[in-house]
Amino acid sequence: MKNKNMPSYIIAIILAVIFIYPLYILILIAFEPISLTFDRLYPYQLPFIFTLKNFEASIKDLSLIKPVIRSIIVAFTVGILAIALATPAGYGLNKLAARFSNKIIMLMFVVNMMPAIVIAIPISVYFIKVGLYNNIFGIALAQELVVLPISVFIMLGGFRALPQDIENQAMVDGASIFHSFRNVILPLIKIPLLISFLLAWMTSWDEFTYAVIISPVNPTFPVSLYDYVSRGEPFIASSFALLVTIPVIVIVVVLQKYLKGEYLSGGMKI
Amino acid sequence: MKYKLELVDLEKSFSNKKVLDKLNLKVIDGEFLVVLGPSGEGKSTLLRTIVGIENLDSGKIIVNGTDVTFKPPNKRNIAMVFQNYALYPNMTAYENIAFPLKMARTDRNSIRSKVDQVAKLLNIEPQLNINVTRLSGGQQQRVAIARALVRDPALFLLDEPLSNLDARVRYTSRQELKRLQKELSHTFVYVTHDQVEASNLADRVAVLHNGVIEQIGPYNELYEKPNTQWVGDFIGTYPMNFIPGDLMGYPDSTIGFRTRWVSEGNDITAKVTLIENSEGNYFVHCKTGDSDIVIRTDTKYNVDDTISFGLERFNIYKNGVLEEIKSGNSVASSGINDVDN
Ligand SMILES: Nc1ncnc2c1ncn2[C@@H]1O[C@H](COP(=O)(O)OP(=O)(O)O)[C@@H](O)[C@H]1O
Ligand SMILES: [Mg+2]
Repeated sequence: MKNKNMPSYIIAIILAVIFIYPLYILILIAFEPISLTFDRLYPYQLPFIFTLKNFEASIKDLSLIKPVIRSIIVAFTVGILAIALATPAGYGLNKLAARFSNKIIMLMFVVNMMPAIVIAIPISVYFIKVGLYNNIFGIALAQELVVLPISVFIMLGGFRALPQDIENQAMVDGASIFHSFRNVILPLIKIPLLISFLLAWMTSWDEFTYAVIISPVNPTFPVSLYDYVSRGEPFIASSFALLVTIPVIVIVVVLQKYLKGEYLSGGMKI
Repeated sequence: MKYKLELVDLEKSFSNKKVLDKLNLKVIDGEFLVVLGPSGEGKSTLLRTIVGIENLDSGKIIVNGTDVTFKPPNKRNIAMVFQNYALYPNMTAYENIAFPLKMARTDRNSIRSKVDQVAKLLNIEPQLNINVTRLSGGQQQRVAIARALVRDPALFLLDEPLSNLDARVRYTSRQELKRLQKELSHTFVYVTHDQVEASNLADRVAVLHNGVIEQIGPYNELYEKPNTQWVGDFIGTYPMNFIPGDLMGYPDSTIGFRTRWVSEGNDITAKVTLIENSEGNYFVHCKTGDSDIVIRTDTKYNVDDTISFGLERFNIYKNGVLEEIKSGNSVASSGINDVDN
């Protein structure tokens, strides 16, 4: 057994190192004095001195607070909008024969394969006209484009997983469509709803292309972080980046429980 | 006669497959009607159109004298037990049973007393506060039936509610169901492909075939006087035996007889192909001409024996439809025992 699993463990460890190393460097930069990191040609790879100075500096520098708040509003808007749109869409698609609904879902994903930049520019032109340019709801709407296909896919999977005839039974038992949805269906799609919301939230949280094109003047956090790095204040940026990575780590831990499950199969039998 | 349910010329197709083809049926107040038919014949579709979760192509559905054809399921005053129970998995047994009452805005106290009452009736009181997904198949089935019985609708539809249970539980559940229906004097339309269930439960059996009710009546009547050869073939543990009419002097027709309608004589000569022994009787499979037949005897024959026997009664079919019933002096006992064998 042990010998058999050995290669996969080695591969897993290599992959983990590749993915964790940047995070490690981020932590080093955030907690080490600049003299040991940026001021050296070959920065130390191991922690020597622990300091909270960078954190103090970044929190004092209020100019990054606003983008963070903006990002939070945008992320929640994108998340809520995602489930508000994907729930009825998934419900409706589930009523179609699978060969139709699968094709529609496929179409949604294919359309989304177009590079964001190609879509972002015409959208921003239009948004200028309707007053959504440089507006956080403009960003949210544009980012919705990115998250909606996967949200619909997950919700469709949730509806497909519902026990057969449960909704019919509710109707026969005297429930209106509203009551059957609220009392019977909603409690059974909580997990797909949670996954859709969190994935949408996370996607929005670090989305860059739409954000920078649609709202360059009132940027979201990833955009202003980029400004900081390019302006040469990466140590403040690192400690801030670390702060905003924390919610993402929490979300990933929550999602991990479900990511391997049937929820991402869209209810399709493979 | 007061009818609880009248179905008039129901038509229903899926893509281009016709499932119900101008089906007519009348269900009497307080009766236990079993709709019997092979799988895929459209039994579930029939119930689903009656309750309104499947749309009709044409036809009329009348419940308690009111035309409900265009009413939604929640306005039809019909309770239904689905084949797979369709219990609400996020709820306890109690919440499942209480659901229809909650939807009808019944007040909390009468919900509790009604649920307790029906739970007592079905022996599921100890399970009331358990989530339904943790109950056994038999208990789930009781919860599903309780959820229907807790209401007082005009009509109950049951779609093979016992088919997922093992033999023992199925037997006892059958008895209880029949008792409940009579005690509460409810009207039941019960769908099954199982003849034993039909013969044990039904006041009347309606045989569904090719989208219509091919014959309706008490089980014995269907067994002894099937209107068509198809019904004769379908009803009974052994299909009705069919031989060419020429053998008995009825040209252009077919003779049908049951395994036990044989007597001493030499109307028919046949060659034994297989013997089955069942509780003291021998079921002898044999071949006469091109026809395979089964007769019940007390004598032990051997394979390849040539035997001859007479018929004490038989039905004459022309073009598959019953034409005449010929019975001798001693009409055989009811066929129901055959089914139990
Ligand atoms: N939703 C549906 N779409 C297409 N065909 C269906 C549908 N429901 C049932 N059928 C077809 O109608 C026929 C009758 O089905 P059903 O009513 O379930 O039969 P039964 O309950 O007697 O086994 C079957 O051939 C089945 O394939
Ligand atoms: Mg069925």
